[in-house]
Amino acid sequence: MAERRVAVTGAGVISPLGCTLEDFHRALIDARPGIRRLTPETAQGSGVQVGALTDWTPGALLAEAEAANLDRATHFALGAAAQALAASALDLGGAPERIGVYWGTGLGGAHTLENAYKQIYGAGQWRARPLTVVMAMNNAAGANVAVRHGLRGPFANYATACSSSAMALGEAMRTIQAGRADAIVAGGSEALLTPATLAAWQALRTLAPADAQDPAASCKPFDKRRAGLVLGEGAAAFVLEDYSRAVARGAPILALLSGYGNSCDAVHMSRPDRDGQVRAMREALAESGVAPRAIGYINAHGTATSVGDIVEAEAINAVFAESAAQVPVSSTKSLHGHLLGGAGALEFAAALLPLIRGWLPPTAFLEQPDPACKLRHVPLRAERVDAPRAVMSNSFAFGGSNVVLIAERA
Amino acid sequence: MDTLARIKDLASKEFSLDAKALDPAAPLDKLGIDSLSFIEFMFKVEEEFGVSVSDEDLKGIRTLADLERHIAAALTAAGKA
Repeated sequence: MAERRVAVTGAGVISPLGCTLEDFHRALIDARPGIRRLTPETAQGSGVQVGALTDWTPGALLAEAEAANLDRATHFALGAAAQALAASALDLGGAPERIGVYWGTGLGGAHTLENAYKQIYGAGQWRARPLTVVMAMNNAAGANVAVRHGLRGPFANYATACSSSAMALGEAMRTIQAGRADAIVAGGSEALLTPATLAAWQALRTLAPADAQDPAASCKPFDKRRAGLVLGEGAAAFVLEDYSRAVARGAPILALLSGYGNSCDAVHMSRPDRDGQVRAMREALAESGVAPRAIGYINAHGTATSVGDIVEAEAINAVFAESAAQVPVSSTKSLHGHLLGGAGALEFAAALLPLIRGWLPPTAFLEQPDPACKLRHVPLRAERVDAPRAVMSNSFAFGGSNVVLIAERA
Repeated sequence: MDTLARIKDLASKEFSLDAKALDPAAPLDKLGIDSLSFIEFMFKVEEEFGVSVSDEDLKGIRTLADLERHIAAALTAAGKA
């Protein structure tokens, strides 16, 4: 029997660029940035100047008291998952034990933890909210998605920093292929723009300062002037489903998820490694059976760090060889910032834009491409294209975890 | 506002319930308040009244009326009543 194929039948987005898949895609087409100067209240003494905040409250989804008992990362997860499930029109009542949740988070409930520590160390009151543990734990976001929709199938939560939610999608695909679930809500969320988390990131010296002319243009992947990444917050979720079942029920099929590569550099905690990235891309290509020249777009990890962008460009050139000159590559982090645990899922949503709507999302603000990042860029503005056969999305994380996803036209 | 009214007011906000319809004699689970939610609620009750209820006493609380008795006793003991 042929291996089960996996369809994407719904998507939801809560992001700095908009809070539906359509709004997110529209902002990418218009190259409308979501990065802005942080208020003193958010940044406090951290020294961080810019971030990509998401203007969304769960008011339509949760009563105020209910929302107060869930972390912001869980709010985002519930918002994105509800959209994805509604779009897929998946029947949740029939066999809920065949529907799972695979989620990705980087830090988990950062706001909750910070509030608890503020109370304890800051105010010197050794009284933490009783819900602190269940609000802050890494699996809280996904577990609340499962509870809310009664999804009783396999559950997993991946916490591999910037590759977390891409891994959730890949592993969900494998679970469906193996026949262990018919459908899985897969995605990731992150909400860590808290003063202490910002201070910790600032200490790493990888964050971009505000652009002197335009704070919205502070993240410049692949540009000679790049100065580091910009942190963001939000979530993206997908309904992944056994393809034949999706077809049989007449589900809207956005794309097929057909390739997943997963490797570890095993070299360094933060310095990326070309060979590890190459192995992940090759593994994803081999699994999907798509030839490199048939990849019509790569959503790069492209964090806009000095070393990271060069290593990724070298890895893409090593994998794509002569077709590297033709395959369009962009980093949409230039617009939505780096969602860390939510990044892989959000960027998978960006990678679907060419497949679904025939637009290549741009690397905004890429005016002076770094010659060391020799790629076929999509600079400044989105480009209209015929929908390609397949797209790739790269997610490379601290800890050396590399995840690559390949989606194909439905 | 008396102690019970303040407790009912807190409970109505925490659990999105109508304060007037809250029966103080009803078992908490009948009001839709599970054990985890109740522990979080107690945290807020203790803050509101500035008293603390021991783990041992907490185990005996089955209704909002039970809770009122414990809070009233704690307030008296603390000289706050």
